[in-house]
Amino acid sequence: MQIVCVSRGTFGGGKQLAETLAKKLGCVCLSREEINDAATAAGIAVGKLELAVTQRRPLNEWLNIEKERYKAFVTQNLADRALAGPMVYHGRHAHLQLPNVSHVMRVRAIMDADMRTALTMQRLGLPRDKATIYNEQVDEDRARWARTVYNIDWQDPGQYDAVINLSRVKADNAASALVTMTQLPEFQAAPADRRQLTDLSLACRCRLAVGADARTRLSDVQVKAREGRVLLTYLPRHHQLAKIFPEVLAGIDGIGELTCTMASTNLMWVRERFAEDDAELEQIVDLASRWDAAVELVRLGSTEAADAPALESALLGAAQQADDRAGLGGILDDTANVELDYGDPGVNQTMQRLTSSGRVGGFRAVRGGTKELLTGIDRTASYSLVVIGQVFLDKPAPVRKRLTRELIGFLADKLKVPVVEAAELKAHYSFGWTQGLRLILTGAATAGLVALVLNHQVEILSFLTGPGTLHRALCAAALFAFAPVFAYLHGQFSHHVLRLFRFE
Amino acid sequence: MPDFFSTSVFIPLTWGTAGQVILLGFIGGILSGFIGSGGAFFMTPGMMNLGVAGPIAVASNITHKFGKAMVGQKRHGDLGHVDKKLGIFMLATAAVGINLAVFVVKHLFAGGSDPLSNAKGDLYISVVFVVVLAAVSLSMARDLIASRKSGDTQPSRRIVDLLARLRLHPLIRFPVADVSVSLWVVLFCGLATGYLAGTIGVGGFVGVPAMIYVFGVPAQVAAGTELYLAMFMGAYGALNYGFQGMVDIRLTVLLLIGSLFGIHLGTYGTKVVREIVIRLVTTSIILLCVVSRAINIPVYLRQLGLVDFDPAWDTTFNLASKALLYASGLTGAGLILIFVIKANLYRRRVQASLVTTPQGTARA
Repeated sequence: MQIVCVSRGTFGGGKQLAETLAKKLGCVCLSREEINDAATAAGIAVGKLELAVTQRRPLNEWLNIEKERYKAFVTQNLADRALAGPMVYHGRHAHLQLPNVSHVMRVRAIMDADMRTALTMQRLGLPRDKATIYNEQVDEDRARWARTVYNIDWQDPGQYDAVINLSRVKADNAASALVTMTQLPEFQAAPADRRQLTDLSLACRCRLAVGADARTRLSDVQVKAREGRVLLTYLPRHHQLAKIFPEVLAGIDGIGELTCTMASTNLMWVRERFAEDDAELEQIVDLASRWDAAVELVRLGSTEAADAPALESALLGAAQQADDRAGLGGILDDTANVELDYGDPGVNQTMQRLTSSGRVGGFRAVRGGTKELLTGIDRTASYSLVVIGQVFLDKPAPVRKRLTRELIGFLADKLKVPVVEAAELKAHYSFGWTQGLRLILTGAATAGLVALVLNHQVEILSFLTGPGTLHRALCAAALFAFAPVFAYLHGQFSHHVLRLFRFE
Repeated sequence: MPDFFSTSVFIPLTWGTAGQVILLGFIGGILSGFIGSGGAFFMTPGMMNLGVAGPIAVASNITHKFGKAMVGQKRHGDLGHVDKKLGIFMLATAAVGINLAVFVVKHLFAGGSDPLSNAKGDLYISVVFVVVLAAVSLSMARDLIASRKSGDTQPSRRIVDLLARLRLHPLIRFPVADVSVSLWVVLFCGLATGYLAGTIGVGGFVGVPAMIYVFGVPAQVAAGTELYLAMFMGAYGALNYGFQGMVDIRLTVLLLIGSLFGIHLGTYGTKVVREIVIRLVTTSIILLCVVSRAINIPVYLRQLGLVDFDPAWDTTFNLASKALLYASGLTGAGLILIFVIKANLYRRRVQASLVTTPQGTARA
C-alpha cells in the first residue's frame, strides 16, 4: 500500500511527475485541485481562505475555523483513499497532509528558475520580467500558505524523503527511480500506519461533522483520535455547546469513546514512563486547572530501553480491541464501564486521573528521539507549556541530564513555547514558600517606592523640574531608570498575587 | 506645599485623586489587555479631567508606558512574537515623529503655568485625539456593520490591496513577520506612530493596525513588535519629556499600580469572548472617549477667546465630558470583568471532561 505525496510548485513539472509515477505504479493519482473543488462543493470557503492568505490579511475567527475544516477535509479524503489502496497525490504542501503516517513517501519536485520562467512565459504568454515576478510572487504565496495553515517552512528540505530537480532529470526517469524507492522497507505500510490512517480519518470526519452542524459550525474545536477514542477540545467561550457535541458526533462510525474537554490551551507532558501515584501528575493537573489547559501525554521511548516491549505495546495500543470493534461495527459491547487500554497501566491510570479532573488532552507514544517527538506535533495547535519529565532512563545520570537539557533547548527553539523540566515546575509555576517570599519582597519594594514618591512629592517634583542642562539630563536619566525598575517590581508582585488567587 | 503647587504645572495630589488615577490605570490596563493596544486613549483624557494639564498627562503616561512595554516585550520576545528588524525600521522614523511631537507640544505649552498656553496645549491635544480616534473608531464601526450584513467578519482590506498593487520599491523582507513591505510605507507608518505617541500617547492605536492591515503582519507578531517599539518610543519620550521637566512621576507610579493588574484581566478576557464582541466593545469605548474629549473643546476655544459663552458653562462641559469618559471606561471594563468572572466561575464549576460511549453512558 504505497502512498506518495509529491509537493510541487507552479510550472515546476511536479504534476507530470506525479501522473507518470501513478501510471507506473498502477494506482490512482489525485491532485490538490480535485480535492479543492470537492471541498468547495462541500461548503468550505477555500477561495476566501486562499484570498486572505495571498493578500496577507490576518485570519479572523471564522477563517481560522474554515482553515481547520479545510485541513480536515483534505486529510480525510486522502486517508480514506490511502486506506483503499496505493495512491499518488500531488499538490502544494502535499507532504503535510497525512501527518504521522510513517510509510508515506514525501517527494519535492523542483525546477531551476530559468526553466520555470520559460515555462511561465510559454503557458501564460508573459514577457520574461513579468514571468519572473509572477513566479516569485507565487512562491511567496506558497510559503505564506505553509506558514499560515501548517506553521511550517515549506522550503526546508529536511521534510522530504527525496528532492528531484526536474531541470536535470526527465519526469519519466524520475518516476522510474521513485518506483524503485517505493519498494524500500521504509515505505511499506506497517499495521501501526494503517491504524494511524484510520485514526486520522475518524478525527477528520468528527471535525467535519462539527463544522457541518448549524449549532456547532462556528465553534473552534480540535479533534484527535486514537484507537476509536475521540478527544474533542473546545474553547471556554463555547461552553454552552458541551452537551451538543456528543449529539452531533453520535452518528459517526468508529467512535468507541468520545471525550469533550473545555480548554483554552494545551500543555504537553513528555515522559518515558507514567504512573498514577506521582507528585508530578498532581502538579500538572493543578497547573492545567489554573490555565484551563488540556494535558497531552507523550510517552517518549527508545527501542534500546529496558521497557521497549511496553512501549511497543503502547505504540500498537489496543490493536486487537480496534479489530474487535471493527467486527462489532464500531459499537462497544454493552458493559457501561468498558475501558479501552492504552497498552500501559501507568498511562491508563494517568489518563483516568486527567479525565476525572477534566484536563485530558490525548496520548501519543513516540519511539525514537528528539526529531521523532517533533514530527508528531501539530505545529498549529496552541501549546502554552511543554513539561519534560523523566526521559532517557536507560542512560547513566549525567548523560540523561545532558540529553534532557538538549531536548529542552531543541523543543523551545522549534516550538517557541516555554519548555521546562518537571523538577522546575514547582519553582516556576506553582505557588509555594519561595513564591510567597517573592510576593512579600516585591510587594514591600513596590510599597516602599510608592511611599517614597508620595511622601516626598515636593522634593521629587522640584528636583525633576530644576534648572540647568546637566541637572535636566540627570532628571531624564533618573526617570529612565526608575520607570522600568518600578514596572518590573510591581509586575512581579501583581503576577504573584494573581497566581496566589489561581487567576492566570 | 501649597506654594509649590500653585506656581508649578503639577496638581496637588489628594488620596481621592490618587485613587482615581489608580482606577484610571486599572481600567486602562483592562482595556489595553483586552484590545491589544491603547489604554492611553482612556488614561490621558482621564487625567486631564482630574485637572492634570494635557502635556503633563501625556508625558506621565508615556513614561508609564515605557516601563510597561519593557516588561511586556520581553515576554513576547521569548515566544518569538517580536520582529526586531521591523521594529528597528519603524523606530528610525518613530523617533523623528516623537521629537516633532514633543517640539510642537513644548512650543504650544511655552508659557508653563499660564492658563492661555495651557488652553492652547489642551486644545491641540484634544483636536488631534478626536480626529485620529474618530477616524479609527468610525472605520471599525463601518467594518462591523459591513461584516454583519455580509456575514464575513473580515476587516477592510482596501489599504492592503492598494499597497499590494503599488509595490513601491525598495521592498524590505521581515523574516519573523514573514512579509515584504515597501520601505516608504514602513517609514511613513513609523513617523505617524511616533508623532501620535508623542502627541496623545496613543501610538499603539496606529502602529498595531498599520502592521496588521497595511503590512499584513500576524496579529501576535504585531502586538509583540509594537511593545518592542513602544519600549524604545516610551524610553525616548520619557527622556525627552523628562528633560523638559514635564513628567509627573507620582502619576506614572499610580498608573503603573493600576494598569499592571488590569492588563492581566483584560488579556484573560480575550480568551473567553468572541472576536466580534471584542471589536464591538472596543469600537464603542473609543467612540465614547472621542465624544467625551470633543465635549471639552468649546471650553478651550472659549479660554483662547475664539468663541464666546458664559464661563459658568465650563463646569457643565467638564462634568459631561468626565461623566461620559468614566461611563465608557467603566462600562467597557465592567463588561470585560463580567466576561472574565463568568468564565472563571464556569471553569470552576465544570471540573470534568464529558465522556460518552456509543451507549450514551456519560461520566464526569
